[in-house]
Amino acid sequence: MECPVQRRENADLLLAYCARRLDPERAAVLERHMRVCPACQAFGESQQAVWAALDLWEAIPVSEDFDRRLYTRLSRAERADFWSRVVRPWFPLPFRRALPLAVASAIVMVAFLVQSPTSAPGPLQVESVDPEQVERVLDDLDMLRQLNVAPRSEAAPPQAM
Amino acid sequence: MVAVAAVEPDAQLMLRVRDGDAASFALLLEKHRAPVIHFLYRMVQNQAVADELAQEVFLRVYRARASYEPTAKFTTWLFRIAMHLALNSLRDGRSERGQESLDEEMPDSSGRQVPDRRPTVEQRLVHRVKLDEVRRAIQGLSEKQRAAVLMHKYQELEYSQIARVLSCSESAVKSLLFRAYETLRARLAHLA
Repeated sequence: MECPVQRRENADLLLAYCARRLDPERAAVLERHMRVCPACQAFGESQQAVWAALDLWEAIPVSEDFDRRLYTRLSRAERADFWSRVVRPWFPLPFRRALPLAVASAIVMVAFLVQSPTSAPGPLQVESVDPEQVERVLDDLDMLRQLNVAPRSEAAPPQAM
Repeated sequence: MVAVAAVEPDAQLMLRVRDGDAASFALLLEKHRAPVIHFLYRMVQNQAVADELAQEVFLRVYRARASYEPTAKFTTWLFRIAMHLALNSLRDGRSERGQESLDEEMPDSSGRQVPDRRPTVEQRLVHRVKLDEVRRAIQGLSEKQRAAVLMHKYQELEYSQIARVLSCSESAVKSLLFRAYETLRARLAHLA
């Protein structure tokens, strides 16, 4: 046989031999070859050593409540699947895609409406006005206008002669 | 469509799950629960994360039952899901955040052993050191090499199955394994 170490494509023969997955016939041929080939012998020994080292890594125990937790999740998923099956025909895909945007817009609108009564001006209040009071205010304004004019004329600088 | 009679037993069970048979799912879970957890544990090297990922694997299997077609062996499909979840977890760094120390991981099996055959403290220490080296050596492999070695060594998957899980050719798997074992030989051969 062609040396598996020399021919890379035959190397899986050595790997299979070390993993005890080679059929007896091919294993016997390889063993005969290994007896006369130091390279294959060394390869085989080191690969067996790796195999034995990997065997040190034992499996971990499965948690006792693994199945219970899984079945809980499965039933939850089943319920979710059921509701999505119920809802899906009523809401086509474009609508479902736009749904988050619509919900966000609705939240913003509600927030705006909740905030607005405090900041918006209240209803206009019309007070009844007494005509005499209006007359008095107009007189006061007239008086103020005269007072305003008088100090200005007093404070005016003297005209140059 | 593949005839059910020509399909391997696990795929037949999965087809029954597809038809609503919950008992068949329980059988698949019973058979594959431990191998999936062990594979994930050796991939991410964290028991809690492996447990959580295994839950996700079986959840996905169950949720995908309606669209299941037995185009490959059931274990190929199962480990493909497991490997993708493990790789995502490793890329998220989820398992690294909770990396277990070897001391935490070692189960105290003294209660189950006959007192006079109990390993000495020295033997236990040597075992721990060796195990730590094995774990580090596996961790040192690339993600693909690691997955290939774990599926080849511990799950005993065929080259063709590993190739389908890793989405590559059989010859690529052989080459991947050859290089991975080469690295492991360099790091672990002295443990013999």
